[in-house]
Amino acid sequence: MLFFSYFKDLVGQEVTVELKNDLAIRGTLHSVDQYLNIKLENTRVVDQDKFPHMLSVRNCFIRGSVVRYVQLPPDGVDVDLLHDAARREARGA
Amino acid sequence: MVVGLREFAHRTGNGSGTPVLDESNGEELMRVQPSVAVALGNRSLESPGTLYITSRKLIWLSDVDMAKGYAVDFLSISLHAVSRDPEAYSSPCIYTQIEVEDDEDEEDESDTQSTGALDLSKIREMRLVPSDSTHLDTLFDVFCECAELNPEPIEQEEEGEHNWVFSADQMVVGGGAEEDGEWPISQSPTSVIGLSIGDEGGLAQPMLELQINDQRFDDAEEMVHESETKDH
Repeated sequence: MLFFSYFKDLVGQEVTVELKNDLAIRGTLHSVDQYLNIKLENTRVVDQDKFPHMLSVRNCFIRGSVVRYVQLPPDGVDVDLLHDAARREARGA
Repeated sequence: MVVGLREFAHRTGNGSGTPVLDESNGEELMRVQPSVAVALGNRSLESPGTLYITSRKLIWLSDVDMAKGYAVDFLSISLHAVSRDPEAYSSPCIYTQIEVEDDEDEEDESDTQSTGALDLSKIREMRLVPSDSTHLDTLFDVFCECAELNPEPIEQEEEGEHNWVFSADQMVVGGGAEEDGEWPISQSPTSVIGLSIGDEGGLAQPMLELQINDQRFDDAEEMVHESETKDH
């Protein structure tokens, strides 16, 4: 549940979601659920070559299982904290 | 489970033309939206038709051609969005991306086979255009609900596959709060992975207990000597 909690704290920030089909979508993180399904607002496609017709959509729901990466704002991440939290979660603490 | 878009013509025979659902598997109809046109991939809009949103899949049935219809499981819908940008598409619509079966060496990205027939399973994008665009936001919300009803199925995980090891002293049983079984615990007494020393749950093994309770680890003072003057 760690990343669910983590992403909940990031709601309102700009993120870029890269899908497993290489599409990258930038938008404001609107919400996330336990399956890490992601809802973005004011989205725009980062690289329009693959899906040129998508361009800008208002609201977008991305299935958690198709996400490859979520790129976070660099100053929005405390890497050490996240690292420790992830290790503790893995240990079941 | 079928990945991707497919034909669907299974309508009830009662004349209403509604789709037949898999009720034995708990599939329910969530919403019916008449007057919806569909555009598959780069193809032109097909209409008139009716959109049936079930708890498992999307079904679009033509209103005029009783043999024509399409269906796609929510499990295959990677993404859905409300598209209002006229530069993206002429009409406001729900834009969806569909996951397709991963075929190696697919050089030809077109969705028509060599015979010219449409291969639905290769369709990657689908747009649904309601005649009344004020329905778009509601449709988007229903799609979200249904997507949430269809999380990835939990497969039978092989033993040891998800047991990440970070350090030599990590021998941890997955926390009891884990509801979705992400951390399979080996039940075999010969497997060390997944056991923790001092675990009070059901996995305490006799071997580990012996190590803790072994008298050899007791303090020397507790041993009784017969003669206190014995030389060593």
